[in-house]
Amino acid sequence: MGGAGLNAWRDGIRRVNRAPALLAAVWALTLVVTLPIAAVMRSLLARHLGASLAAEAAASGVNYDWMQEFSDQAAGLGVTFKPTIIGFGAVADNLSAFLDNVERPVVIVAAATVYILLWIFVAGGIIDRYARDRPTHAAGFFTASGVFFFRFLRLGVLQAIVYSALFSSLHPLLFERLYPKLVHDLTVERTAFLIRIALYLVFGALVAVCVTMFDYAKVRAIVEDRRSMLSAAVEGIRFVRRNPADASTLFLVNFACFAVVVGIYAAIVPAVGGTGVSMWLTVMTGQLYLLARLWVKLVFWASETALFQSRLAHVGYVSRPEPRWPESPQAEQI
Amino acid sequence: MTGCRPGARRRDHVVCTRRIRDVLVTTLWFTTAASSVVSAQPGAGGGITPPLSPRNANYTITARLDPAARAITGSETISWRNITARPATELQFHLYWNAWRNDRSTFMRELALAGQSGEGRAESDWARIDVNAIKVDGADRTAVKRFVAPDDDNPDDQTVMAVGLAQPVAPGATATIEIAWSAHVPRPFARTGAIGNFFFIAQWFPKLGVLQDQGWNCHQFHAGTEFFSDFGVYDVSLTVPLGWPLGATGVQVKRDDNADRTTTYRYYQEDVHDFVWTTSPDYIERTARFEHPRLPPVEMRLLLQPEHASQADRHFNATRTTLKYYGEWFGPYPYGHITIIDPAYQSGAGGMEYPTLFTAGTRWLAPRGVTTPEGVTVHEAGHQFWYGMVANNEFEDAWMDEGFNTYSTARALAVDYTPNFLALRYLGGFVPHVVREIALSRETEGNRLTGYRHDAESDVQSTPSFRYFPSTGGSITYNKTALWLNTLERWLGWPTMQRILSEHFARWRFKHPKPDDFFTLASEVSGRDLAPFFDQVYRSSNVFDYGVQELQSTPEGDRFRTSVVVRRHGEAIFPVDVAVVFRDGERITEHWDGQDRWKAYTYDRASGAVSAQVDPNRVLLLDANYTNNSMTLQPRGPAAATKWSLTWMVWLQECLLSWAALV
Repeated sequence: MGGAGLNAWRDGIRRVNRAPALLAAVWALTLVVTLPIAAVMRSLLARHLGASLAAEAAASGVNYDWMQEFSDQAAGLGVTFKPTIIGFGAVADNLSAFLDNVERPVVIVAAATVYILLWIFVAGGIIDRYARDRPTHAAGFFTASGVFFFRFLRLGVLQAIVYSALFSSLHPLLFERLYPKLVHDLTVERTAFLIRIALYLVFGALVAVCVTMFDYAKVRAIVEDRRSMLSAAVEGIRFVRRNPADASTLFLVNFACFAVVVGIYAAIVPAVGGTGVSMWLTVMTGQLYLLARLWVKLVFWASETALFQSRLAHVGYVSRPEPRWPESPQAEQI
Repeated sequence: MTGCRPGARRRDHVVCTRRIRDVLVTTLWFTTAASSVVSAQPGAGGGITPPLSPRNANYTITARLDPAARAITGSETISWRNITARPATELQFHLYWNAWRNDRSTFMRELALAGQSGEGRAESDWARIDVNAIKVDGADRTAVKRFVAPDDDNPDDQTVMAVGLAQPVAPGATATIEIAWSAHVPRPFARTGAIGNFFFIAQWFPKLGVLQDQGWNCHQFHAGTEFFSDFGVYDVSLTVPLGWPLGATGVQVKRDDNADRTTTYRYYQEDVHDFVWTTSPDYIERTARFEHPRLPPVEMRLLLQPEHASQADRHFNATRTTLKYYGEWFGPYPYGHITIIDPAYQSGAGGMEYPTLFTAGTRWLAPRGVTTPEGVTVHEAGHQFWYGMVANNEFEDAWMDEGFNTYSTARALAVDYTPNFLALRYLGGFVPHVVREIALSRETEGNRLTGYRHDAESDVQSTPSFRYFPSTGGSITYNKTALWLNTLERWLGWPTMQRILSEHFARWRFKHPKPDDFFTLASEVSGRDLAPFFDQVYRSSNVFDYGVQELQSTPEGDRFRTSVVVRRHGEAIFPVDVAVVFRDGERITEHWDGQDRWKAYTYDRASGAVSAQVDPNRVLLLDANYTNNSMTLQPRGPAAATKWSLTWMVWLQECLLSWAALV
């Protein structure tokens, strides 16, 4: 049980490692979205620091007094500049915010929306590349991205509905109504925490199931060249239902990879240093961590693709012909 | 801090010599003051000889707890002596628990202003206290009791009961008051109540207000303020289920296990102004002892939640820190015993002070290097001094104990708990993440500058505390006071500040000081007219904000012309230093009285300027914007901004990636 899942995971890793350009591309994508916002943040910080001597301490280490002052006087984007950004705190903050459904400022939500749209755009090209398991080059990548963008956008609407239900209805139900009831008369914090952990597991499991279904919907849409995203979603569910052990094993192994990456980052993340080498070391460590996170995300897709394809009569089959720029009709379409 | 190390330069040597002198003066004071207080000896059973206080409100109370019904039935006999110069024609009592009788009380209305409410509470989660009978000198006065609302005329508030007297109580005369009452224990409100089988019973009995020459000082219970009462002797017998440990003000002098599977504990304490108790079958008990070469020993008793068993020593050590430093700095703790309560999770009873007993508060996950539970333990133990002994009116001048104690807590923590790292809590607030890059400073975080900055103009401090806006009053009471006391310390020097506080303690312990008592004493002890300072910090809500507006240094021939403009952005005034540093290392310090809106300085030097700074030693901790206090001609703002924006970018990337997991 689950052996195919492990094989698919190994196959997925191989497929991702054979296409390093994709990893570089999604990392660049992340950088492209965040750099301009970081530049805005930089100007806010620079304006507040001005020519003050507080900058000296801020440059050489952590000037918490100044951070507090900045944050007290900040609005909009500036309110996110808190000690939570330091080192592993950034990961803990985001993970906690995800599980606790913490609202973020509008500007962060807007950036996340753009980022997700870009991911929806490149998802077609990425999964197509992993499905074919051979170079598709830029033309093939963008052709597949273009072909599947609007399909995945439609799938995205479905995803948005499902995730809205999870985060806007189920989460408050679990954490704002059920949890307070469960702990109402508790006098032991440890028990309350265990109850919360249990609810995180319930919520997290549901999110994981949905993510997995939608992943397989995308995989089936690409491998089987499906146009109806509703049917792709149904088929995604059907695939997981027919292969629960392998799909679960694969998810857990991939999730374990994520946990290992986070754990390693927690262990090696450098302390905040000055503005010279230590700054670049911190930035590089951060970017390496992000690369690893992105790698895990790509392995998720690649291994799920491999698992699905392993169940087909012809392993590695992709329904849609490989586009040949500019002769291919698909390329003409875009 | 500058240390007295070998090889220090001459200026440092002078500083060292002064410090040695200061230490000697402090030690001399300490020896004298300590000996006078220690002459009052704590007895074995809560007695103190000779009396330290007027002992004019003495209570003998008998009460029984029915945990299943969450009910208390009690009776008390008060022996009250009129120590004012006017006869008392009526008595006024606090019935605090009626603040939680319904949502129409003044307390609940104020709570609503602060954005909280009792909505959703079950009927049994509310409280009440009903006086069933009252006799004064044997005469039944039950029929004439009535509720009054001296603060806001709220007809629905039942937290103050007035009882007219058949015969006035003359100055110096004593009345005997007998009261029978019953009460319902609420789900916790304001550190009082029950959750599960944890009971914390505070402000629980009909309690006399304070008669002053102006009349009764007996305020209604307010959401933002605490209590005020006279000193006396408490002899209290409490009956609780068998096997339930009990902690209370004073010392247990008797214990009887009854036939009905209950236990009656008798507690006794002299020279206190309140009595609190708690019981729960879950408590585990630990004991330890505080010893000091020049301070009286104190037996410490800790009632702890089982899940915090490993943190017992942290509670004891923090209490030792308080008894040691407060004892050395202000005066000794005279009771000989103290009880520390670690309240149950969700009881809301943490962080509160009562005579000889206080509640701390910790978390199941409490990493080392972070002052949980030490911060709250030092603070609440510290209230034994500021509140317990120096007993100001917390309704009107809450800052006199809370602010003094916040300042003192920060000072004590800085000595014994450095570094004290910032901890952020995640996953529903359960999981701590220690930010080892950020060691919290006494001056800013200890004195809570951030909170003050938000609410600096919310109220004038001289406004009676119960009239502060409920949600921001704490910043004026705690934070602003701590900041201006620390400012005063940095301005006058610790030896002077220590003399002021120890003299205030010595003069006002077991009494009720008013603000002017402290202000007068501070000027008297320091030998300076501090009235202008107190006018700024106490009698106004003006904000301090000094800054450097301009710094230019231009070559003129082989010399440099440097001009500095400093500005007072805020309305509040304080004398500040202005330091200008030149490239050749020369440092010029100007003294600016801070009165005008701006002041310019020009220099003609062989070397150009590097930087200018207003208040370089950060004496004025109330300055709301310290970043603008300095300017340099070699700015590192852009480099710092680059570093921090890149650090922030990783957080943002991580954040976006978290959500992209859903794609």
